Amino acid sequence: MNDISNEADFRRVLESLGDVQQRQVAILFVKHVLHLSDDKRLERVIKTAADPQATEEELAASLKLAHAVTFDSHARCGAEGQWSDQAGYFVARAAVAATTSPEHSRVGGAAWQAAMQARMAYTTMLIDADTDQHSAHTECEWQYQCLSGYLND
Amino acid sequence: MSASIEKGINALKRQVDSTVAAFFSSCVHCGLCAEACLFYTETGDPRRTPINKTEPLRRIWKSEFTLMGRVGKMLGLTKKVDDKLLEEWQELVYDSCTLCGRCSMVCPVGNDIALMIRKTREGMAAAGQAPEGLIGATNRSVTIGSPMGVKWPALRAQIKHVEEDTGLKIPVDIPDVEYMLLLSSMEIMNFPEFIEAVAKIFDKAGATWTISSEAFEATNSGIQIGVSDIAAELVQRIVDVADKLKVKTVISPECGHAYMAIRWDGPNLVGKPFNFKVRHILEVLDDLRKDGRLKLSGRETQKLTYHDPCQISRRGGVIDEPRRLIDMFAEDFVEMPDAGKMNWCCGAGGGVSANERADEIRLKVFERKKAQLDEVKPDAIISACSNCRIHLEDGLEEYNMDIPLLSLTETIAEHLSDD
Repeated sequence: MNDISNEADFRRVLESLGDVQQRQVAILFVKHVLHLSDDKRLERVIKTAADPQATEEELAASLKLAHAVTFDSHARCGAEGQWSDQAGYFVARAAVAATTSPEHSRVGGAAWQAAMQARMAYTTMLIDADTDQHSAHTECEWQYQCLSGYLND
Repeated sequence: MSASIEKGINALKRQVDSTVAAFFSSCVHCGLCAEACLFYTETGDPRRTPINKTEPLRRIWKSEFTLMGRVGKMLGLTKKVDDKLLEEWQELVYDSCTLCGRCSMVCPVGNDIALMIRKTREGMAAAGQAPEGLIGATNRSVTIGSPMGVKWPALRAQIKHVEEDTGLKIPVDIPDVEYMLLLSSMEIMNFPEFIEAVAKIFDKAGATWTISSEAFEATNSGIQIGVSDIAAELVQRIVDVADKLKVKTVISPECGHAYMAIRWDGPNLVGKPFNFKVRHILEVLDDLRKDGRLKLSGRETQKLTYHDPCQISRRGGVIDEPRRLIDMFAEDFVEMPDAGKMNWCCGAGGGVSANERADEIRLKVFERKKAQLDEVKPDAIISACSNCRIHLEDGLEEYNMDIPLLSLTETIAEHLSDD
């Protein structure tokens, strides 16, 4: 019975996952924040990435699409930034992490990278809410529970 | 004469000094600057040669500050500076120049052509002939403190996020520390991992540092649009806080023009030397390396190359530092042709990226960067300017090139040794 309740355990467990598990968990993290993006292309990206029958070519096309959404949603240098829009940029980056091939994933692996970007999406959304309770804590807690549930299934 | 053109002409007159006079008197019309400018080489359009971009300033110098020009003006023979000319030149001075300074490097008589273009912008801006994007960014810098409208509560939220992820405390408004870190709005909005990277590196190095809640913005729209008074005001805000906190060194982040603005233009803009040092983050990291305070582990096996941001490498002189740092983790590093001080600009600096009207030409001139990359075919590109990074990603997407971009500071943080 796995019950992850802190960041150190969370990261250690994520790093111990195999390539397929990394992607599966990363997709769970992305799905949880997908509603923060209004770009419907990301739904297609995640659908393909989650399909165990997807070919290498289809996965590469998904990664390219996720990259395209990232470029289309980033805050432009010198332009007035909108934090609620910026949440979509971080969702796209989480999708990029989830669809990047294992050999090209950055430190921590796909699931860790997706987790960080998903938390950023949550944080940026809260900034525009103009509240003093800025925290991605709720998202962290959810990710702990999600990973625990995944491991226990 | 309209009020706006009068303001523009007066602003151009104020720019004419001995440097400008020497520049126009000594130009031998060799055309070498044209071949050094990617806006000319990639379009073949002679209007976009660097020397031609200074034409409004040249006309003012000639008609107001030379004997022949004054005589010609009395006889009605000189070419005028009017609204039509400035309107026509706006696209050349702002959209087709990143102030990268490559033209200045090849001038056989040593003229700083990029500086002359920046001086020309002073007149353009005073006449109201600046791109809307840059005007908006400059207004926000003055009223809010950030060209992108980033306020302290937003950065505080990002800091809190980093603290929760890393377990590290990000110091805010702490006096008497070694370093005060500035950030660009681009980093705060698009690459908050930079804050996390610096926090991890400084924690391992045992460095004392802080971020100021009053003056955290590094970028300087006054420099880009060409309004020295605003540029000076933005620098002064940083100086006031750095003096108040008694910091030893102010760090310019991974942003090109911010480094030029605060380190090399800053003291001249505010009219006195600083009481603190200014260093680019790469210089600070290299100092930590020299002092044995930066220890890395693990090697990147993919083929890496480094894109020199113009304002950091060519204009700022930070060329060897990034290479020494990359050597700490790179197994396979290749230099692009013309790397270092003669590197080709990404095409988005000097306010070009803030100017939507320039999008088409910005991506067109990326062909030069594409050619450089095609020569070495890297697996990933490292850079140290968030504006270069975003534009390189944009250009790579435009030209169907699948090459990831890495921040040098963030990559170093990923390789920090656990020892």
